[in-house]
Amino acid sequence: MKLAPVSLQFHAVLVILCLFVCVPAQAQSPSAVLAGTVTSQSGTGIAKAAVTIKNMTTGQSTTATTNSTGFFSATNLAAGTYEVSASADGFTVDTEHITLAAGETQHVKFSLIPPLSLSNLGFAPSQTQGNAQEQARLNKRSHMLQMHQRLGLITLVPLVATVVSGGFAGGHSTSSADRDFHAALGSTTAGLYFATAYYAIFAPKIPGTKTEGAIKWHKALAWVHGPGMILTPILGAMAFDQKSKGEKVHGIAQAHGAVAIVTAAAYGAAILSVSINPQTKHHLASIFEFHHSHRSHAALGDEAFLGE
Amino acid sequence: MNRKIVLIVLLLVFPLIARADSQWVLDKCTLTYHVDHPLHHVEGVSSAARGKGVCQAGECQFLIAVPVKSFNSDDSNRDLHMLQITRGAMYPMVVVRTEVPESALNSSTIHANLQIQFAGQTADYKDVPFQLTRSGKDVHLTGTIPAKCTDFKIDPPKLLTMPIKNDIPVIVDAVWSPS
Repeated sequence: MKLAPVSLQFHAVLVILCLFVCVPAQAQSPSAVLAGTVTSQSGTGIAKAAVTIKNMTTGQSTTATTNSTGFFSATNLAAGTYEVSASADGFTVDTEHITLAAGETQHVKFSLIPPLSLSNLGFAPSQTQGNAQEQARLNKRSHMLQMHQRLGLITLVPLVATVVSGGFAGGHSTSSADRDFHAALGSTTAGLYFATAYYAIFAPKIPGTKTEGAIKWHKALAWVHGPGMILTPILGAMAFDQKSKGEKVHGIAQAHGAVAIVTAAAYGAAILSVSINPQTKHHLASIFEFHHSHRSHAALGDEAFLGE
Repeated sequence: MNRKIVLIVLLLVFPLIARADSQWVLDKCTLTYHVDHPLHHVEGVSSAARGKGVCQAGECQFLIAVPVKSFNSDDSNRDLHMLQITRGAMYPMVVVRTEVPESALNSSTIHANLQIQFAGQTADYKDVPFQLTRSGKDVHLTGTIPAKCTDFKIDPPKLLTMPIKNDIPVIVDAVWSPS
């Protein structure tokens, strides 16, 4: 029998009603049914998604798993309030609270979304992927600079001792023992200094790094104490030789003491430049400004004074 | 008849339609870490964070990420050392995840549970308070993450043989906009 178009529409209505309305006709049954689908945001059913139905009164949980189309159903549920959670690998958990009446069948639809990832934020893979070689270079750099720091502090001790002993090594009344002691301290200082410098000079450079901050002054001061630390022993050896011959120190050897003082001062300033608390420096700066109020702050240059 | 069918279908299917989602994007963000040493107080700032939030069924998940090397403390040597000690080349991103109820976005304070991936470790911070202020559709969020070196197995760096304090609080100042 050929159906008229109106009858077709009527049948369509019946089918839909059966899907969504006829199910509650099972209301005579004392137990309730929860059915539904778990889909991705695009609407595709997610297979093997886990659905946990927890009775909020008894705490008992029932689990269901979706079929290949993402459909699930759980039967024999007691009337009550349930917390229903759907989860699947690669998706976030979605939770619903549902109240089931005795004999009722309810449908619930879960639309799971994948967890946000770095690709959602627009970072390039090169920004988010680790680089073991780069890390090894950083590790080596840090290790060498730590050695540089330790040796630098150790060097400070014989350096100060050398400067102090220098006061007893010069002049007319000095003994050769004083000069020998001063020379020995100076040699120790020079040896430690060059070992310290080695660790800074040969620490791996990190490409693309612009030198900023206190380290700029630390490096700049090295151009003072570095040549000074080469020149001072040379001049010292000349002075030593002249004194040993019973001569008065003359010529460029006379500059030994001055060069040594400048070198030691630059060395101390280099250590301070990376050691002093910036807040302390600001405090010192304010005191300095108070006592030199006639000099403008701008002319002084805050950063120059602070060594940063 | 056709209109009736459509109406019936809509009435029946409406409750089953997936709930409307909303999305948020991190518009502006400044992250500032604080490090204390007996001789120094250091602040490192980054404005390179990116973030996104997706709300569904009343729950919002947020993801914020920032490159470790983007933090600037005005000292390149210190920044490189920070990068080394935090294993920043191996794990170049700090990633923060959190989930909050959508309704919380309308309150003035939220307490968020944060999961932070940093230096190859994952640490959870519970009930971290953030202040929220609305500006039009945007949400301005401020707060402090009470991070510690030990949370991420970071060996506290030393200067002049003195280590920094274990606490490295990170101040968050962010503006989220709906997208």
